Amino acid sequence: MKPFAYASPHSLDDAVALLANDQDAKFLAGGTDLLTLLKGDLLAPSQLIDIKRLAELDDQITLAGDMVRIGALTSLSDLETHPLVAEHAPALAEAAAVAATPQLRNMATIGGNLLQRPRCWYFRDPEIPCWLKGGDSCPARTGENQHHAVFDLSPCVAVHPSDPASALLAHDATVEMRGAQGSRTVPLAELFAPPTDGRRIETTLQPGEIITALTLPAVAGRSTYLKAMDRKTWAFALVGVAARVKQDSGRISEARVVLSGVANVPWRATAAEQVLVGQKPSSEVLRAAADAALSGAEPLTKNGYKLPIAQALVRRALEATLG
Amino acid sequence: MPAFKISTKEGKDGVELELIEEEGVTAWAATTPMSVVGKPHPRLEGREKVSGRARYASDVRLPGQLYARVLRSPYPHARIASIDTSKAEAAPGVHAVISVLNVPDMPWFKDGKLFDRTLRYIGDEVAAVAAESEEQAEDALHLIEVTYEPLPYVMTAEAALADGAPKVHPEGNIGGEVVEYERGDLDAGFRQAEVMVERTFTTQAALHNSLEAHGCTASWEGDHLTIWSSTQAVWVVRDQVAEKLELPQHHVRVIKQHMGGGFGAKQIPWKPDVIASLLSRNAGRPVQLILDRRAENLASGNRNPTRQTVRIGAKRDGTLTAIEAIITQEIGAYRTGGEASNVSGTYKSLYRCPNVHTKQTPVYINTGPAVAFRAPGYVEAAFALEQVMDELAHRLELDPVTLRERNYADHDQESGKPYSLPEGLQLAYDQVAPALAEMRQERNRGSETRRRGVGFAAHDWMGGHGDPPGYAQIELNADGTVNVITGTQDIGSGTRTGLAQVAAEELGLPMAAISLQLGDTAVGPYSPVSSGSATQATIGPAIRAAAADLKRQILDVAAALLETRAERLSIEDGQVLVDGKRPGEVSLAEVADKIKPHMLRAEGARGPNPEDLIIRTFGAQCAAIEVDTETGEITVQRVVTAHDCGRIVNPTLVDSQIIGGIVQGVGFALTEERITDDARGYVLNPNLENYHVPTVKDIPAIEHRHIGVPDSKANSTGVKGIGEPPLIPTGPAIANALHDALGVRIHEAPLTRERVLAALDGRNTTGEEPR
Repeated sequence: MKPFAYASPHSLDDAVALLANDQDAKFLAGGTDLLTLLKGDLLAPSQLIDIKRLAELDDQITLAGDMVRIGALTSLSDLETHPLVAEHAPALAEAAAVAATPQLRNMATIGGNLLQRPRCWYFRDPEIPCWLKGGDSCPARTGENQHHAVFDLSPCVAVHPSDPASALLAHDATVEMRGAQGSRTVPLAELFAPPTDGRRIETTLQPGEIITALTLPAVAGRSTYLKAMDRKTWAFALVGVAARVKQDSGRISEARVVLSGVANVPWRATAAEQVLVGQKPSSEVLRAAADAALSGAEPLTKNGYKLPIAQALVRRALEATLG
Repeated sequence: MPAFKISTKEGKDGVELELIEEEGVTAWAATTPMSVVGKPHPRLEGREKVSGRARYASDVRLPGQLYARVLRSPYPHARIASIDTSKAEAAPGVHAVISVLNVPDMPWFKDGKLFDRTLRYIGDEVAAVAAESEEQAEDALHLIEVTYEPLPYVMTAEAALADGAPKVHPEGNIGGEVVEYERGDLDAGFRQAEVMVERTFTTQAALHNSLEAHGCTASWEGDHLTIWSSTQAVWVVRDQVAEKLELPQHHVRVIKQHMGGGFGAKQIPWKPDVIASLLSRNAGRPVQLILDRRAENLASGNRNPTRQTVRIGAKRDGTLTAIEAIITQEIGAYRTGGEASNVSGTYKSLYRCPNVHTKQTPVYINTGPAVAFRAPGYVEAAFALEQVMDELAHRLELDPVTLRERNYADHDQESGKPYSLPEGLQLAYDQVAPALAEMRQERNRGSETRRRGVGFAAHDWMGGHGDPPGYAQIELNADGTVNVITGTQDIGSGTRTGLAQVAAEELGLPMAAISLQLGDTAVGPYSPVSSGSATQATIGPAIRAAAADLKRQILDVAAALLETRAERLSIEDGQVLVDGKRPGEVSLAEVADKIKPHMLRAEGARGPNPEDLIIRTFGAQCAAIEVDTETGEITVQRVVTAHDCGRIVNPTLVDSQIIGGIVQGVGFALTEERITDDARGYVLNPNLENYHVPTVKDIPAIEHRHIGVPDSKANSTGVKGIGEPPLIPTGPAIANALHDALGVRIHEAPLTRERVLAALDGRNTTGEEPR
């Protein structure tokens, strides 16, 4: 690990300025991903800017009018247990609860969770050249890709590792960011984008920008998050499914189906949502939605098994939210 | 003093001497009343461990101590064209760097060197650095300039055995001896068969993943070397380090007080002991070298992957007529000398069968070397043989226990000798069969997509008999307490406690009066490696022999004190009684005080195992599982197990071994597998993130039904080992339960979701009809 400087600014402006002046600096919050990248020789920042003490950043979950606001420093443990999340975004509480371990959830912040790098075992091994690390090609495409993407959106086939991201998308979350040029708020979906030749990273956060908060509508309605892992706990999702539905007079009036573990980004299955809206819930409708959720999937050599798992989880998540 | 006799015979190299120790005690009978043995005494070192005070190899802190790191090959096969360590030597904090440049040609394993210009797997040692901090040592590794010439490699046995395959070693890719065994007439056996089953199975590379990694702290004083090593064999490490460094054996002291898991991977001396010693000598400071998890999972052993083609023939009543197993095992890049994976063993012995053929071919591949892993060979073989037996039972519409009972082997068919406890396996069947019946009652609670199944598997194990010789000493202190001293080591299973219970029992003392020392070659007399589930059965009788001798001496003194004959005396709870009565007793403290400063001391040795008997351990297990047919998820709900391990000295310690073994068995069955990219030669999961050991949520309810019948012919304590056996039947019991649930069978371990879904989809199935 290369030596680095450590800074602990007190204001957001100072933090953003520090980063603006040093392209090789990184923000440090929970550190649960950053430290693995440092120790894995995948990052060698010049300095770490500790953002845990910034006056403007917080770890609070609050209700403001009809919006739930989640500070960027909120831990996954707090998401798991906070009554406002349980009431207004049960899928988010469930997704946080099945992520990592209690120790990691106590440390990890929601802002960092959204920005964590993929867990692809080719990407994470500094000795292995890979496209995402600047190489020519992605070895996972023809290699051991059992954990990889079934939607082909990028030269890279690593999947986004977050569980809460899918739940937040299912709740139409927006993300507030702050950079040297000021603040901006965008739908969370826009934070994520499959890596391209010119941008070999999974997010659209601009250099020098920082996530400050997430907001989501405090609407009634049911949601859930289901996750399939290689063991019962403490593993990244093979497939995760966040589902949220609203019903009106016995018909589905609004639906969100978002998948983890299937693409470079949390995958919003709009085709499934379209199948659902306007329908009376029935096992046929759910089955059609589950099929639609995976329409367009092109599994790699070793991950075709994810499709039936994803379909089953979509159906079960919808059953749970409609039940 | 241990008595022994020497016999001589003419061998091919002249006269061979045989020295046989005599214990001087008769075996405890099944009916002998016991007051300490058999009781769940808490671990003597429990408080030390839970309070964090127990000192492991990595806890050693000596003045001026340095920390070492090892540079490892990034290629599966390469030649070092050039290496330059000068920048690393000049780096901050660095005190010593060793590599092929400055370490003389030192043979290692059966076919390698400590540092070689040819590297044969990712993780092979290139150089080592000792610095004032681990971080400085790590940074210095990056300054070592190496030019590698990558060479072609083989990552599977199939590739290694192909025509024109790259050679791992110049002699070729067969790693040692092809072992073939035949008895009876196999062809005739298959001709007699009315039913045949033939299947091919594969088992994976499983990684030991001890919590405590391999490593040591080495420190010189003049030309005397002390090593705190994480090893299952302090004496073997001592002898090997002495040999490699050309030191007299009495200049090397090896200490191992506590062990954070070994599971066989620490039964041989590994390179860190010598690397740390060399660095320490060069630096003139103590050096600690503890492997990180990546090195641990690349370069410290693994369970050899196997491919087994098994063919069995049987009569319609289930009587076996022929068994054949053709086995290849991928042993990695080197023969460590401790690989010991006897995959063919159980095919020869578990069931009565007159016609057997096994062939076991060890194959080199460019991965880390294999080494024994808890019941090596038997775990791999049981996964295959016990599934084939299950399929046979299914075909013949026989209960799986009935089929096995009809093929009961009551003696060792290889040697023709009887077993010391021929009913051992039947006792296990008798305990587990009712549980299997109970589980079947609950099987119907499943649903269309959550199907339940129950599975059964039996096992035998070649170990557990103890490995004589082994020695012990006992001293009576002036206050009536005793010191028991042995040179064995605690592999982590609670060895101290089980051994102290034997001493307490023989001496009639409470446990509080016993101190037990082990794990230090400078203190204890020789003991063998802690492997083969041997320690309690080897050292227990040696301690008992010493204790019996000490007791004789105590009673002689007490007889004089009490003006009576020693034959009338006995010891109970630290008091010497006349004719078993109180009052009139004299305490051990009074006896000891009376003769001080003289001291009563005794020595004991473990005599040989009986020549006319074969000692084995047996067991049976059943598992209840639920399978999600849509997602392929397997949930192991309950495992019931019974094992013939002879007399149970401490039920808590035995239960702990059962739980630990089944946990590793669940991992082997469901989630644990080293993943390699065979085309590119990468090892992808040498970590704990993607190498999935079971978590507490993966573990079923585990019920151990005790047998506890002393094997009084085995040794004077009637004890056999239990460390390895519980893991053996877990994998096949789960696989058989999967078949029961789904009607399809999976021949590849582990039983991943991918394989479950593929099997349900009709791919890779056996042709057995779905239920």
